[in-house]
Amino acid sequence: MSALIVVFFPIFFSFLLYVITEKTNIARFVALTLFLGMFGESIFLYFHLPQSGFMSLGHFLEIDYFDFTLTFAVDKLSVIMLVLTSILLLLVTLSSWHIEKSSAYFSLLVFFSGAIFGVFMSTNLLWFFIFWELTLIPMYFLIGIWGAEERVYAAVKFFLYTHVASMLILLAFFLLHKQSGTFDMTLIKESVLVTPALIWWLLFVGFAVKMPLFPFHTWLPDAHVQAPAPVSVLLAGVLLKMGAYAMIRMVLLMLPHQAQKYVWILLLLGVISLVYSAFMALYETHLKKMVAYSSISHMGLVAIAMATLSYDGLSSAVYEMIGHAFIIAPLFLIAGFFHHKTGSWQMQEMGGIMQKAPYISLIFIIAGLGALGFPATMGFVGEISILISSIEKYGLWLIVVAFTSMLSASYIIWTFRRVIYGSMSILVEKTDFSISKMEFFALIIFTFFIIVFGVYPQALFSIINDTFSSYTSLGGGV
Amino acid sequence: MSPFTFLFGMALLSFAITNVAILKRVAIWSFIGSIVLVIFGFTTPLYTFSASEGVLLFEIIVFIVLGAIVLSEDETITITQTLFIASASILLLESTTLLSFIVSFELMSILSFILVSNIHNAKEAEGAIKMFIAGSVATAILFLGATLYIFSQNSLDSAIAEHLNGFGIVGVCLMLVALFYKLTIVPMHTWAADSYVELRPLEAGLLSGVVKTVVLVATFKFFSAFVLENISFTSPIFITLALITMSLGNILALFQKRVTKILAYSSIAHAGYMLLGFVAVASTYASDGVLYMAIAYIFMQSAVFVLLDKLSFGKGDILLIDLYAFAKKDKWSALFLSVQLFSLAGIPLLAGFLAKAVMVYAVVDAGFTIVALITLLNSALSVGYYAWIIKHIYFDTQESSYLFEKLTKPSYITQIILVLGTLYFGVFATTILGITL
Repeated sequence: MSALIVVFFPIFFSFLLYVITEKTNIARFVALTLFLGMFGESIFLYFHLPQSGFMSLGHFLEIDYFDFTLTFAVDKLSVIMLVLTSILLLLVTLSSWHIEKSSAYFSLLVFFSGAIFGVFMSTNLLWFFIFWELTLIPMYFLIGIWGAEERVYAAVKFFLYTHVASMLILLAFFLLHKQSGTFDMTLIKESVLVTPALIWWLLFVGFAVKMPLFPFHTWLPDAHVQAPAPVSVLLAGVLLKMGAYAMIRMVLLMLPHQAQKYVWILLLLGVISLVYSAFMALYETHLKKMVAYSSISHMGLVAIAMATLSYDGLSSAVYEMIGHAFIIAPLFLIAGFFHHKTGSWQMQEMGGIMQKAPYISLIFIIAGLGALGFPATMGFVGEISILISSIEKYGLWLIVVAFTSMLSASYIIWTFRRVIYGSMSILVEKTDFSISKMEFFALIIFTFFIIVFGVYPQALFSIINDTFSSYTSLGGGV
Repeated sequence: MSPFTFLFGMALLSFAITNVAILKRVAIWSFIGSIVLVIFGFTTPLYTFSASEGVLLFEIIVFIVLGAIVLSEDETITITQTLFIASASILLLESTTLLSFIVSFELMSILSFILVSNIHNAKEAEGAIKMFIAGSVATAILFLGATLYIFSQNSLDSAIAEHLNGFGIVGVCLMLVALFYKLTIVPMHTWAADSYVELRPLEAGLLSGVVKTVVLVATFKFFSAFVLENISFTSPIFITLALITMSLGNILALFQKRVTKILAYSSIAHAGYMLLGFVAVASTYASDGVLYMAIAYIFMQSAVFVLLDKLSFGKGDILLIDLYAFAKKDKWSALFLSVQLFSLAGIPLLAGFLAKAVMVYAVVDAGFTIVALITLLNSALSVGYYAWIIKHIYFDTQESSYLFEKLTKPSYITQIILVLGTLYFGVFATTILGITL
């Protein structure tokens, strides 16, 4: 029952929240409390999980016909995503503490939280899809209302692009149901399918758009750049992770034999995404676009790790997913903060911010170092573990990952040079860089995670490794 | 007493009532009464009519929707017409023989003509004439088909036979063509694109929401056995018609500037989705798909048209640019409109999504994967114009000068009932799935 509440209460309550708090400023407190509750629920679920496999959280709307039963069940992988999501939701709430039209904003955030929990908790594919699509609605409004100048274009493009991809996923789910007789993702693995290759490709393309992998990534830079900074954090930290989660859960683990056969395409697109986006980031002078491309580049890294189909690779993919969320979030928030204060996105118009806002600059530098894979940050652990596991599986040519790391070092350090250091630009000189306590607090927490899990990655790996231990016995090398 | 006799009697009685407030009460209680009669198992006592579980459920839904519409309606003639339409719906849905089907279909047609003959201006007259002429042509074709069929079968007093000779098949096909006029299947759709825009939105809502879905369910119920028997030659025809209808509807909707015109083309596109029931007739899910589509559509389409009717009452067409920053002017209407538009677009947790999902699943189940893919991509394309309307409502900051009417309290109740219907059937699919049609 608690699963039903944690998913549906926020979705329906969000409308009420908007109505009640419309003229006041208290929606943010309600949202914060609710997200704290959801965080508590995730932690509670973590401590009650069985050693391996799924823990059922109930069946609702039971009907055999069409298998429409709403089934909630979680395993370690989904609980990790739940914990990550609830932490990000909390920090996003803090980061947008002083946002305008706060009642509508936090109501949408609350709506989003229910939908995203539904994605990670439901094991019925049809309901998974329902929640998956439902996340689009709040995002559409969050980008379209609170975004920058080109927000409408970005919002509509985001909606349409990802919706088209979802249609492929839905078709794949229907084919799965027709051929296996069930929508239950935990049972499909055992079934013999008639057209497994077609299903695999439909799912792969559908999820590759959300991750996003080259060449399906074009919606993301627009959405990222136009979205308000906290929403960019949600996009990068939650929505892309949703794509990666589904890729692991369905494309790799649910259809292991097809994954084995076609995994080269995941590897190939991962490598292209990694290198291409790194070059694009190097080329960009638009601060937030640079961060967006860096984000896509890191998701390429996650794809490479997944493509190893090995225990080590999948573990490092999940580690990198978490690392990426914590690293990219402060970069987006600070990029948004700089734009909010200076009114410019262009790096050449900034410079010398260190002298005016040393603490924020320091956090930007730490997160940047994380992004380029500097030791003692989460970025380093992620990159090195992915490098090792991928070279182990595919040979030395994947040293390209290390070379791309140099590319990311170039664009990040060059960004430091242009934005943080150097002589102070006129624009920066006349700007006041004061930041609210809440926003600063959120940034500190992000930095804390980047360093703590960078220095002591075992804390995370011990959880993540458990996630895949039950899959080692499966066919297909996973 | 059967629900038909009761409703028809109340409809005749309502002619004598001139006071709107009393008439409204009578109509609403008539609908409630018929729902009770249906629930307690009273059926039309003639042997040419019989109702399955699915039909009874759909009848209840039709009464609820019409009741909700009447709640906020102030024209006596329209209220009386809704009672007549409801009674004709019962007959059409429950018909089991060709004679009863043709008679009830014609009754429904004539009632629709009377509905649109309530003309206030030249534009509505044009819409009504277009609809009347198209309807008459359809009737003529229906009779031609029926004549050929009777010529081959020597019987009016039975359901469509499964094994037919050449004349019989041509006859049934002609009858289907006539019915497709009402369902606005391309190329029999041209009248609808104009009439839905020119008529009063409420009338367009009744025609495209209620009458169309009733005809859909009745046609599917009556002809599905024939279609299944002749699947080898019917399926390519239905696939072509369905795909052309949905694609053309969606593409043309993208270029429209008037909101009602967008909805008219969206209605044509939905006719394409509805026709998929005939494509997938070999699947057991086809009847679920048709029933779900009808139930979802009757809520969404009626709600949108009734809302537009109330907002623009006596003010003329609403253009897309008139909806700029509409959410600032009237946040509740904006919310009602957006929810129904999202449902029409097929966004989950709303009835429109599950209706499409079950229908497309039936198509996949029947083995037409490519058709399913094209349908889903069409659905994604349709999001383009629905999301665009919502974009104007919420994202644009420049307010338009159009003075929208404020919703009255009964209008709010109407909209709430219709939104609840959309939400309920967006989650509780168990009410519909597996029911026999």
